[in-house]
Amino acid sequence: MNARVDIAGSAALAVAGMRSGYGEAVVVRDVHLTVQPGEIFALLGKNGMGKSTLLKTVMGFLPLQGGAVSLFGEAVGGLAPHLLARRSLAYTPQEQALFQDLTVEDNLRLALRDRTQFASGLERIGVHFPFIPQRLKQRAGTLSGGEQKMLLVARALMTRPRLILIDEITEGLQPSVIERMVRVLRAERDETGAAMLIVEQNVQFALAVADRYAVLKLGEIVDTGPVADGTVAARITDQLSV
Amino acid sequence: MSTLLDILTTAAILYSVCAGLLLVFGVMKIINFAHGGFLTVGGYSALLVTHLGLHPWWAPAFAFVIGAVCGMAIERLVVRPLYSRPLDAILATWGLGIIIGQVITLAFGREVQFVQSPVTGALDLPGGASYSEYRLLLVAVAVALGLTLAAVLEGTRLGLVTRAVIMNENLARALGINSGLVRFATFSLGAGLASLAGALITPLSSVDPNMGVPWLVNAFMLVMVSGVSLVSLAIACVVLGGAQVLVSQWGNPILGGLTIVVLAAFVLRLRPQGFSRG
Amino acid sequence: MADPVASVLPSPVANAPRKRSDLKRLGIFAAIALVVIAIGPYVLPMYMVNGLIRAFLYAAVALTVDVLWGYTGILTFGQSAFFGIGAYAAGLMFTHVGFSTGYAAIALVAGVGVAMLVAGLVGWLAFYHGASPLYGSVVTLVLPIVVTQILFSGGNFTGSSSGLSGFESFDVSIEAWFWIAGGFLVALTSAAWLFVRSDAGRILVAIRENEQRCEYVGINVSRVKIVLMVVCAAIAAIAGYAFAGVQMVVAPEYAGFVFGTELLIWVALGGRGTLIGPVIGTLVLDVSTSYLSGNLPFVWKLVIGVAFVVVIVALPQGLTPLVTRTARRIFGRRETAAPDAPVTFEQSAAAPYAGLEGAGQQALAVEGVRKHFGSLAVLQGIDFAASRGELLSLVGPNGAGKTTLMRCVADGNERSGGTVRINDHDIGRKPPYTCVGFGVGRKFQTANVFETLTVAEALRIARTRMARPSLWSRAGTLPLPEASLQVIRATGLDLQIGTEARHLSHGMKQALELAMVLALEPSVLLLDEPTAGLTKPERTMIGGILVNLAQKHRLCILLVEHDLDFVREISSRVIVLHQGRLVLDGTVAEVVESELVRTIYSGAAHGAPS
Repeated sequence: MNARVDIAGSAALAVAGMRSGYGEAVVVRDVHLTVQPGEIFALLGKNGMGKSTLLKTVMGFLPLQGGAVSLFGEAVGGLAPHLLARRSLAYTPQEQALFQDLTVEDNLRLALRDRTQFASGLERIGVHFPFIPQRLKQRAGTLSGGEQKMLLVARALMTRPRLILIDEITEGLQPSVIERMVRVLRAERDETGAAMLIVEQNVQFALAVADRYAVLKLGEIVDTGPVADGTVAARITDQLSV
Repeated sequence: MSTLLDILTTAAILYSVCAGLLLVFGVMKIINFAHGGFLTVGGYSALLVTHLGLHPWWAPAFAFVIGAVCGMAIERLVVRPLYSRPLDAILATWGLGIIIGQVITLAFGREVQFVQSPVTGALDLPGGASYSEYRLLLVAVAVALGLTLAAVLEGTRLGLVTRAVIMNENLARALGINSGLVRFATFSLGAGLASLAGALITPLSSVDPNMGVPWLVNAFMLVMVSGVSLVSLAIACVVLGGAQVLVSQWGNPILGGLTIVVLAAFVLRLRPQGFSRG
Repeated sequence: MADPVASVLPSPVANAPRKRSDLKRLGIFAAIALVVIAIGPYVLPMYMVNGLIRAFLYAAVALTVDVLWGYTGILTFGQSAFFGIGAYAAGLMFTHVGFSTGYAAIALVAGVGVAMLVAGLVGWLAFYHGASPLYGSVVTLVLPIVVTQILFSGGNFTGSSSGLSGFESFDVSIEAWFWIAGGFLVALTSAAWLFVRSDAGRILVAIRENEQRCEYVGINVSRVKIVLMVVCAAIAAIAGYAFAGVQMVVAPEYAGFVFGTELLIWVALGGRGTLIGPVIGTLVLDVSTSYLSGNLPFVWKLVIGVAFVVVIVALPQGLTPLVTRTARRIFGRRETAAPDAPVTFEQSAAAPYAGLEGAGQQALAVEGVRKHFGSLAVLQGIDFAASRGELLSLVGPNGAGKTTLMRCVADGNERSGGTVRINDHDIGRKPPYTCVGFGVGRKFQTANVFETLTVAEALRIARTRMARPSLWSRAGTLPLPEASLQVIRATGLDLQIGTEARHLSHGMKQALELAMVLALEPSVLLLDEPTAGLTKPERTMIGGILVNLAQKHRLCILLVEHDLDFVREISSRVIVLHQGRLVLDGTVAEVVESELVRTIYSGAAHGAPS
């Protein structure tokens, strides 16, 4: 118990005994996980296993029914989403993640609370996604599916957050874009030391980008460990196919 | 000449009356049918200023504050649960209009009352005619109002944030925007502006507990044909308000009263985006 | 008589219980209501009898508001105008021409006729294809304002603001008026009750739930709404005519916008979408208003206003469900679970597929189709043709324009340029329901169904084009084409025919929509990722059905799919789209071996620098 508190003290994100769901339907039960600063953590699992629910609960969109969540040592359970977002936390949801009717530029600006950061932020993401600075005035809804996903990641990186939560960014993406995502996220982590919690179904992508992983099954973590272990891919694929 | 001024001043008055409704509709996608009630509140605020013996210049400011305070209370209690039910919001705010009208009746009585005008003079026109200075003043007020609102909505981060909340509230919150506050502020501002307009128009006619209703319908139609743009609202006010003036002068006043609603309905049928470019 | 009736009538979304006991129950309550009305004049004080006559007529109008708003989702402020038209038809005739049975009949016909004409015009204005619901409400708001202003400007002819009064009218006793108005209301309520629960009545709910899906199963939504508006206008005009006949007074207020909103208040308080709620709401509120407004004039109106706001905010379904629940608790009656819909599916007689009369071999021809949003070109000149019996897969990376192309084929208003021909019919600018008639059936990318309709009801809606639904009853059987039945059985939908779509899982909704589209018996089938969210065995089964439809029934199927293995297994031909252009059109083998396709999918052709 004490050890866990110690970890929470230094962790970017510490989830202890989380229980959450929709009304009486408990989707996440007694989940413990920590993400250290500078670490990319992949949360894997099939559809309906509670991955997105966990992220929404961390972000304050769903009430915490039990357990605790802390960011950089501060207990944040019960805080409203906008207050969490102001604690250097970026979140890219799986669905309806862009303002479709606003321009690319407005979508990026909305993530920033300080407008003086826009130019430098744009320069940084332009390195990863050159199409974005060229198409600032285009409506986000008219971008292709892959471009929208890239804009999402770009928006998350704009603020140089200390922790990024990403929900299924590879869904519907073609392999070349997925590879680019791996490069971008790892480069960003190396540069800014941001922690990332990445929810995925795509095992290959998750293992290519992450340092550690956990597998969520029926709302509980059934396997976790470092990605470095060479047998991981086969084991996870096995677990996801059961 | 005086017809031209009539058109101009009528458009200005309509613009002032519509601005708050447009703000609430454009930003929140909610039609505030209590807008007429807020106009009435503004009218009686001006009456109170007269009763208190204050200078009539105080009326608009006083009305704005009272209206905004009413708006705050109503947003919290009534409008907030209805954001996802826009047609129900029309009905609930219409009910609020009834409540406001009845409360005012209980407090001030049903009879028609008059308010002092801050400017009573008339401007001599070339050719011997003269024109009410107060009506001309309203043109300047409307222009100032439009420019201020446009600057806030289009040019500031506040405007962008407000639009974001309406498009996708959860996403806005995930980006650190306090959406509840944005809605609250917008509705209160809209109510304040309606009340302000009510105070501005009362010196032209009189106050009674139902004074807002006829204005409400015209304002509603003008906002519908304007889309959500302040510029197209100005165009709509000049074109349809102008038509109203002309029909009233050369046709008859009753037909004139119908001009705006009928023209607006047909404009929307033939061109659903109305006067906006979209 | 209020509570027992309210406690039994189901909400509009409720399922169909057994048909016969239903009818019996309606008969019993209509009979009770008629008995109460028959003895009413003998036991009630005179002012009450008078008040109730008026309330009965108001309630008839409120009933039309409930059908329009509660069931169909058309928020209307304008029913008062039709009431006024009916009233003025009587008032004007009796004042200026005089009273006789003949004149009375002419006035009735004229009043109803004018009301229907005006309603047709209003419907044309308000319900054009693509109109927003808000615009419809705007028009219904303008109508009473225009009518009252016309009455105001009518001078001596219409009596201007004071209206007309003191005209000679029917020589009928007050008791008889009570029976006439009461009988009219009971008959109307019963008819409306039968109608909204009939197969045709379900279409109203379907329109409220999902107008787009209605158009894509071939229902001309605008026409349904206009017809409904015209019928409701006629009923309101009859009520207004009777009102003028009994009160011998007409005034512009009865046609006005304030009365129009008052009707909405009664319906909302009584409970929209329940029929009986608005009737009782109107009776209670109108009678108590005329009684109380004498004693507490302003306070009473304030109370109504507050109650209205509270109900809209906190109890959107009105007071009826509240009363029902309380009554159940008091009398200890348990909520009866909705019994299974008594619908059995059967295979429909083999009919020719839609749109094939006189058509040649070519099922689909797309020529130079372009689509742009502002300056962004999504499709840049797409050309291809498909014959009957082909299963054509449309593949390409995200944003290639696949879904947009589907949309352009199914709705004439979508494309920016080029022509589309379905079975040799040029679709021109025609709306989706016309394209359905040419043979198009479209399944959307995300399940697009009617949330509060049951599986059986939704499938029946999809059959509207083939079998005109009954206006007063529900059919016990539902004939469906073989392919639709196959999907239903294979996915287990047949075990859930009484379940509302919103309670279905994602995969089941997908299956339901596919079954609905197949129920249209289309000859050109557009499927946007039809198997997303389904299990592997279900996908295989649907693949088999599609191949069968193409090969045996000679359907032309256009399929958008991400799963290339699935595409390979079932397609006869593949088209590759990339950045809004058709880059390859060939057999499965050609596409699989194509270097170009490999490049596109590996992203090198995406314009990415890294």
